[in-house]
Amino acid sequence: MDGKQEISLDKLPIKRLDVIEENGLERFPPDVGYEEKRESLIRRIDFAWAVEKDDKNKQKKRSRESSAAQWEFQSMVENLQLAHQELSVIIDLINTVEANDAVTVASMTRPRPFPNEALSDLAVSAATKLQCFRHLGKYFKQSANALEQQMSREARFYGALIRLQQNWKVKRQRAAALASGNEGFTIDLFDNSLYDPAGIFRPSPLSTVRVDHDSAGMLAINLPPKSYRSLQFGFLSAYPDDNPIESSKLKIQSSSETDKESASDDECVKETHSLLREVHQAIFSEQVFDLVNREAFYQSLGVNVTGIQENYLQLSIGQETSVFISLVPASQGEETVDSPSSQNIENAILPLDTLDGLKLPEDKQDTPKKKSIIPNQISCEIYLLQIFHQHVFLKAKDRPTSGGGVSGQPAKEGSGLLGHFCMSLAHRIFSNKVLMELENVVRGVPYMQLLSHPTWHSRTSSWTLFVKIPQSILLACQTRTSDSRHTKHVTKSQFHTKVVVTDDCINVDGEGAPNVVGLFKGNSQEICSMNRYDCDLADLPVIILQQVASQVIRWLHEEALMVGIKANRDFLCLSFELEQGETLSLVAHVDPEDGEGCISWWLVIEDGFIEDRKLNMDICDPASESRKFLGHLSLEVLYSIMMDLVGLCNGGGN
Amino acid sequence: MNRGGAGGGGGAGAGAGAGAGAGGGGGAGSGPTSAAALAAAKKQKKWLESVETDIANIVDHFSHLVNVSRVNEPPVRNSQEAFMMEMRAARMVQASDSLLKLVSDLKQTALFSGFASLNDHVEERMREFDKQAEKTDRMLARIGEEAAASLKELESHYYSSVVPHTSENYLQQ
Repeated sequence: MDGKQEISLDKLPIKRLDVIEENGLERFPPDVGYEEKRESLIRRIDFAWAVEKDDKNKQKKRSRESSAAQWEFQSMVENLQLAHQELSVIIDLINTVEANDAVTVASMTRPRPFPNEALSDLAVSAATKLQCFRHLGKYFKQSANALEQQMSREARFYGALIRLQQNWKVKRQRAAALASGNEGFTIDLFDNSLYDPAGIFRPSPLSTVRVDHDSAGMLAINLPPKSYRSLQFGFLSAYPDDNPIESSKLKIQSSSETDKESASDDECVKETHSLLREVHQAIFSEQVFDLVNREAFYQSLGVNVTGIQENYLQLSIGQETSVFISLVPASQGEETVDSPSSQNIENAILPLDTLDGLKLPEDKQDTPKKKSIIPNQISCEIYLLQIFHQHVFLKAKDRPTSGGGVSGQPAKEGSGLLGHFCMSLAHRIFSNKVLMELENVVRGVPYMQLLSHPTWHSRTSSWTLFVKIPQSILLACQTRTSDSRHTKHVTKSQFHTKVVVTDDCINVDGEGAPNVVGLFKGNSQEICSMNRYDCDLADLPVIILQQVASQVIRWLHEEALMVGIKANRDFLCLSFELEQGETLSLVAHVDPEDGEGCISWWLVIEDGFIEDRKLNMDICDPASESRKFLGHLSLEVLYSIMMDLVGLCNGGGN
Repeated sequence: MNRGGAGGGGGAGAGAGAGAGAGGGGGAGSGPTSAAALAAAKKQKKWLESVETDIANIVDHFSHLVNVSRVNEPPVRNSQEAFMMEMRAARMVQASDSLLKLVSDLKQTALFSGFASLNDHVEERMREFDKQAEKTDRMLARIGEEAAASLKELESHYYSSVVPHTSENYLQQ
């Protein structure tokens, strides 16, 4: 220690006699209490030297501060030195006190304290120590509770993280851990297996999801609202009723909104799984939209861009319908996103030449017809996602990922998918129109039936129209056949006409259709058993009806031949020659717009000289032929009429 | 009792550290590089030392606490011991906290090691999902076939009936 120090000693605790009385009684001075002794000792310590030193140091400090810049820890060092000096003094004091307690005067022993004094001192010390231990006990309990809570929080957090790691890629960024104060865990949602030398698949900002703690210490993933988007698909046929605003909406709930406090750990992990899955889907939707955008600007068949905005693309399908594909912010809970169709029609950048085929919402005359034409919106959206997933993402994964060995093919692999999708939609709309026409035709012909053939191809549809011969006629034919021993002839029970639509091409394939070339040659007998030809939608009903009518005529012709009557068949006419040279003809007339029935029948009677007059004059003389409208006949009636005509031919011209 | 609990916890922690370290060391030993194996061994050694130090601290401080429970005759020493007891208690809690952090480090190491089992799990899940996808495809095909058969039956019944051919229904599109 520096400086001069003085130490004073008190007198030895010898009890000096005060007075001895005459009777020998000794009186001693009253005892000083232990506490009083202590206090007096402490008061006798003189700290003046230390105080003076403090003042000097302070003056020095002020002078130093005024002169130059001071070391920032200088005051702390000086304070510590002062504290060290005080402690040294106190330790010396304590040692002195202890030494004083143990000092014995020569030839005198220290008087023993009375038992009650010793016991009371011991009791006080024991009580003090007990209090210390109790205080320590409380401290240990509090610490144990805190450590236990921390352990349970960590156990919940890491348990949930390990369970998430079974399905997701967990990463740790130590720099982020230092910066943010938590452990720096993240979940990487980007699919590295999509090796992409062309840079098609870029990591989305959503790919990295930060893992945080919630108030209960449980794992939490907090995503800002509307930070990710979902793909929306819809039709812009300009009929709001056709576009139910119910495309697949992501029901995303951020973790901060759910009541996690009452949910168990399993439920929390499940909800986190669901949230991550939804973000994963959002990333996929963004990638698909990106691919769609890229393809839209290649010249490919079927793709016709009519409008473009940020996160919005409009394509025309055929001449009457448009579709839009957009990225919309994912809805929270059960909210639905309004269809952008109405607003984007106005805001989209539409070239003038593409507006011609677009029908405006005011035109609602054909609304009932249009309703059944537009395919289901959700199924189209699913189909769009499915074809891109199958042909781009799965193929990218199946590609060998040897480093650098992949050529620039990924950029081209996706081309044509959007075109295929647009053409599929166009085909679906067109085939619905074809189906409507076929249904109308079938409704107009009682003995015709329609059968659909699912092709499981997105751009091909197929139906069969067939005419069933009634059972009664078949039985009669079989009876007659067995009687006449014409065993080789097999009566057909059905006539088929197959209609196949590929993209927007209609192909009709039917039996018994007349061969046009044969007609020109004047020989209507040269008829192919099967005829195939293409037609357009406007002519389809007429062609189908003509096909069916010709099949009926052919059937009647075969039946007539079977009974041995010579009959002529000419497209839609079956003629019988009478003995007087007259010709009885059963003529079919087709009219798709006829409300009573699409196929009606006429009986035409011509005398033998009509044909010559026709050749010379090229005029049909109504006086020499008579026609009778038979009406819309069933097959049974037609058959009986045919048999009557056969009988007439056999019986003469009466 | 507390001492036994602390010892047991320390033993469990040491065992866990040793197990994780051994697993990490073993995995790193069979890993691709010797540098990784050395790093893993170093880490394991560091953890073991940390565990031993912490456990020793806890035991040492607790034994001092027990020793100091004796009431001394100079009362001033009791005050001195009171301060020492507080200090030792704080050091015990600090050592416990250090053990807890060690457990956290072990869990984090467990997260980012043991990729063999994780890969096996992932492959198993992939097989399950592939099977599920095939099953779904078969189900879809079966549903399609059943739908086609039902459609055929319904159409034959429908068009065989009078309903579609009545004049009221005609041209109602």
